[in-house]
Amino acid sequence: MAGNNGGPWGGGGGGNRGSGGGNNGRGPGDGQNIPEIDEIVRKGQEQLRVLMGGRGGNGRPNGSGDDGGGGPQITRGTVLIAALVVLGLWVFSSFYRVLPEQRSVELFLGSFSSVGEPGLNFAPWPLVTREILDVTEERSESIGNSRTNGASQGLMLTTDENIVDIEFQVVWNIADPAAFLFNLRDPESTVRAVSESAMREVIAQRQLAPILTVERDEIALEVLELIQATLDSYGSGISVLRLNLDQADPPDEVIDAFRDVQAAEQERDRLERQADAYANRVTAGARGEAAQLLEEAEGYRAQVVNEAQGEASRFLSVLAEYEQAPEVTRRRLYLETLERVLGDVDLVILDSEGQGGGSGVVPYLPLNELRNPRTTTAGSSN
Amino acid sequence: MRRLSLIIPIIAIVLVGLLSSVFVVDERQRALVLRFGQINQVIEEPGLNFKIPILDEVVYYDDRILSLDTTPIEITPSDDRRLVVDAFARYRIADVVQFRQAVGAGGLRVAADRLEGFINPQIRAVLGARGVTSNTILSPERRALMDQITEQAQLRADDLGLEVLDVRLKQTNLPDQNLTATFERMRAEREREATDERARGEEAAQRVRAQADRTVVELVSEATREAEITRGEADAERNRIFAEAFGQDPDFFEFYRSMTAYERALRQQNSTMVITPDSEFFEFLGGSTGTSSPDTE
Repeated sequence: MAGNNGGPWGGGGGGNRGSGGGNNGRGPGDGQNIPEIDEIVRKGQEQLRVLMGGRGGNGRPNGSGDDGGGGPQITRGTVLIAALVVLGLWVFSSFYRVLPEQRSVELFLGSFSSVGEPGLNFAPWPLVTREILDVTEERSESIGNSRTNGASQGLMLTTDENIVDIEFQVVWNIADPAAFLFNLRDPESTVRAVSESAMREVIAQRQLAPILTVERDEIALEVLELIQATLDSYGSGISVLRLNLDQADPPDEVIDAFRDVQAAEQERDRLERQADAYANRVTAGARGEAAQLLEEAEGYRAQVVNEAQGEASRFLSVLAEYEQAPEVTRRRLYLETLERVLGDVDLVILDSEGQGGGSGVVPYLPLNELRNPRTTTAGSSN
Repeated sequence: MRRLSLIIPIIAIVLVGLLSSVFVVDERQRALVLRFGQINQVIEEPGLNFKIPILDEVVYYDDRILSLDTTPIEITPSDDRRLVVDAFARYRIADVVQFRQAVGAGGLRVAADRLEGFINPQIRAVLGARGVTSNTILSPERRALMDQITEQAQLRADDLGLEVLDVRLKQTNLPDQNLTATFERMRAEREREATDERARGEEAAQRVRAQADRTVVELVSEATREAEITRGEADAERNRIFAEAFGQDPDFFEFYRSMTAYERALRQQNSTMVITPDSEFFEFLGGSTGTSSPDTE
């Protein structure tokens, strides 16, 4: 092999040829004066060939390096192919695409060079490295909704030393990809920690009753602003989109007592309303009764006055008649009245002076019988 | 050509040599180059740098903001209301050389331990200081306290070559033993409020009812009064009418009214009268000439 002009290139080419390569013409006997150096060089060639990816296709250590068959053209062709392949690989790894929801950050020799927009981008390897980040994707951290040892993680102390159970979510995405990549080592846990701290800080400055009812929106806004301010002070490149205050309730252990207060409020309403209904009913009834009394009195008045007027005018008519013939009228009225009266009445007429003879009649009045109206006849005196 | 067969390994060795004499410091990193254990270069800016292969060793440090969550500790503010507190700190390596000298090869793990080691006592000191009660911690002054802790921590952190950006309190909660007591208190407060509500409801209802009852009595009594007045007036009017009419001839009125009275009184079918024929009615009973006595017959 020492005498072989193919050299290392030839050895590679020869391997490609697949021409066996058993053509080790040389034996240990050849060129005995410099066998060790030859050995070394040969080994180096083999290793180089192996290094070149076995492009020679001949991985056998026995594979001879010196197939004299391949000439320079073949080796150059192989080199060209190899170079093209390398170039292809390089192009493949230097051009990259960025999706619409992503941005890429390019580093030139480690130092920040630019932010890549969506589309096809070029970053010649190895000079320019890149990292691709999902920037517009919304990420969320939920805080307070886990439990350890049976106690909710969201229990927080208020300023009046009451406890409230909070659960909330922070939704964020990346505003500045470069800052996001370079400034914080663990952004997610930072967001969590900052959020929890901010919420606890805000809750610790408020009282329990408003937290449960009217201040939820205020609180959410205040916490969101605090989180954003803190993250901005770290230069995090994070933009907090929303804070959802999912739950702000009394702790489970006391929630029944709170519900009872609500029930009591409703009961108070109910009692008041019942009383109002009673009042309305009763006063309406009284007004009705009052009206009735007045109407009755008026009715009485009308009746009495009318009757009196009637009676008076009747009298006056009779009087007018009477004045024209007093005696006659008087007698007539008398007789008419007595006629009517005595006609309906059972009469017993006693002649108190007797008739003719002198013997008086002893009147016997069976008053008891007389009192029975139909069973007696007029007792007669004879 | 033998030269060619030598060139390749030589080129390879040269390449390897070149590659091992350059190194890249990333935007996120800083680096120290140690030669024989001594600090030779400090690289704080990103970019390509050179070193002697084999002899020089490059140690990278994270340039970003690092985080530390402390373990919860129990503190006692001056009003003796114990609280369980934990915090998180954000810090970075400010001075790489000092950091290396202080921390050695242990790196960030050691740094974090040391940092926590003096953040927790600072928390204890600031929150347990005179004048700081549990109410202070649960108030807008919380921010000032956190700033104080940060300042104090920063003083000690300088020795480690670290910069403490801030220390923020996370939870400030009651220890578990006190939770039950607090819940009891919350429950009792609610119960009192509920009772109060109900009582106030009763009171209001009663007041409304009483008022309604009073109005009822007033209305009815007024109406009764009016009615009586009306009736009185009616009676007076009646009497007036009668007096006016009957007064025109009292004598005739007497006769007339007596006739009416007789008719009304005696006009019942079960009356029995016992009379003598002396009455004027029977004037002609005895004779046609109209005397009452039978003598005239």
